Amino acid sequence: MAGFRHFSHLMTELLQIFKSKQSPLGSLIASNPKTMSEITLILEEIESGNSKAAERLLPLVYDELRKLAASRMAQERSGHTLQPTALVHEAWLRLGGEEQPEWNNRGHFFSAAAEAMRRILVDRARRRLTAKRGDGVVPLDLAAMEISIPTQDDDGLLRIHEALDKLSLVDPQKAELVKLRFFMGMNYREAADALGISKPTAKLWWAYTRAWLSVELRELS
Amino acid sequence: MDHKSAITPGSLNQEQELFAEALTRSPEERVSFLDGACHGDRELRNRLEVLLAANDQPELILKDITATADTSSQDETIGQALGRYKLLEQIGEGGHGVVYVAEQSEPVRRRVALKVIKLGMDTKQVVARFEAERQALAMMDHPNIAKVLDAGTTEQGRPYFVMELVRGIKITDYCDQEKMSTKDRLDLFIKVCHAVQHAHQKGIIHRDIKPSNILVTLHDGVPIPKVIDFGIAKATEGRLTEATVYTQLHQFIGTPAYMSPEQAEMSGLDIDTRSDIYSLGVLLYELLIGKTPFDGKELVSMGIDAMRKTIREQEPARPSTRFSTFLGEELTAMSQSRSTEPPKLAHLLQGDLDWIVMKCHGPRQVGK
Repeated sequence: MAGFRHFSHLMTELLQIFKSKQSPLGSLIASNPKTMSEITLILEEIESGNSKAAERLLPLVYDELRKLAASRMAQERSGHTLQPTALVHEAWLRLGGEEQPEWNNRGHFFSAAAEAMRRILVDRARRRLTAKRGDGVVPLDLAAMEISIPTQDDDGLLRIHEALDKLSLVDPQKAELVKLRFFMGMNYREAADALGISKPTAKLWWAYTRAWLSVELRELS
Repeated sequence: MDHKSAITPGSLNQEQELFAEALTRSPEERVSFLDGACHGDRELRNRLEVLLAANDQPELILKDITATADTSSQDETIGQALGRYKLLEQIGEGGHGVVYVAEQSEPVRRRVALKVIKLGMDTKQVVARFEAERQALAMMDHPNIAKVLDAGTTEQGRPYFVMELVRGIKITDYCDQEKMSTKDRLDLFIKVCHAVQHAHQKGIIHRDIKPSNILVTLHDGVPIPKVIDFGIAKATEGRLTEATVYTQLHQFIGTPAYMSPEQAEMSGLDIDTRSDIYSLGVLLYELLIGKTPFDGKELVSMGIDAMRKTIREQEPARPSTRFSTFLGEELTAMSQSRSTEPPKLAHLLQGDLDWIVMKCHGPRQVGK
């Protein structure tokens, strides 16, 4: 944890730069200070027990991730792909995340980010499938194209998406785990931290969830 | 009866617990375990069997979903043996990997530093590159260079390096803590230069000279700087990608400030001794006035392409010029950690020291 505190301290300093109007990057993607304080308020609400407030977090995070992906695309040479976790970490910093004193808030943010990432990727899968079928011209979201997850199987991704809705009804925490690992590409350590469980528990949960999903996917097809 | 109707939150937990329990049994024991645990509930029994089968054969899309990410997290544990080395305690974590204190058992018993490199780098290549340099590394023998002793691969296929254990602190931190005067700092710096010169004479370029790779230890009260990680930067040479930038931020903040134009380009141009000289120049700059020529934080905020351009083309301010811009708290802190009054410091910087630093920086590329 000491390492994290030091990291945290450096991030706070870094954030001064991101927020500074003199930052060259600032002109490309203005980190809206209004957004930041909105997020802070929402996180505070979640902390004081209003879990519904998390729903309002989602559109803010979703927007930020898409803008960030677009800006990264504009900067990098083509052929570069973006890891979802890298994008989310960056969004967290840009939105002033490291200034949050409560460790828990990071979990809420990442949860919203995982859901946002899911929607971005599902949307991308749908567009790609539509394009493949040749059903008219469907504009592809260029920014989302650069986000990389291990699977290329768009059909499969959509089926996971459906199965996930079902899983959310019976076991929201396991569904959360799927979002973090499948759509965000988090490893066991990161997912365990985000969920507030131990790494061995995360591994166990994953074993079960993966089996559950496999059974579900086979029944769906 | 359709098992779906039985899926309520409560029964899922029971299902999971039995699933977990069953996993701990051997396949033979599982049958009797399930018989007992299900108490004749045929549905539950079938369900568990289906789940356990799916565990053995998961859907393809769910297999290896974080193949590189999972294995890149620390899988080594304290007490674990890697060949003749036993891991004792973790002493650091950087962008490259994790560093442990390990106990070597043969041919001599001693404590060493063992660094396990993160996956995501092609192991065979890394070890091959290291082996190529190993001969030359073994010939290096200098009091200010930590010896690299060995290399190998863990069971999970990750490369590790074994080095002389140096328990010390970053040179910049040490100098500040001890409030070392400019003269004393230069003494230390010269020792570091000798070390790097020795390596260059053996044909070894460090490629990653920065304060965290120069540790100061005390021998009989005398501070001894030791340069660590020789040969490792070359072996694990990786591209400056957005992944290195944004997932390993606390390492990134240090490195780009010390990165030479050739390294920043990563274009395949041979990195020669000039790269090390550049980094030494940055170190001198920082030892003298407490800041690097280019602000690491600013570099990060620019994005990768702008950062490379800056390192390549921009001329940094001379130490004395930069120093003259310090005000208030900054100025006080800087002078105190050098035990010297500001006017005297300004005087020291102008002239030779300015010249040396700018010489290390080398000529700038104009335009591109």
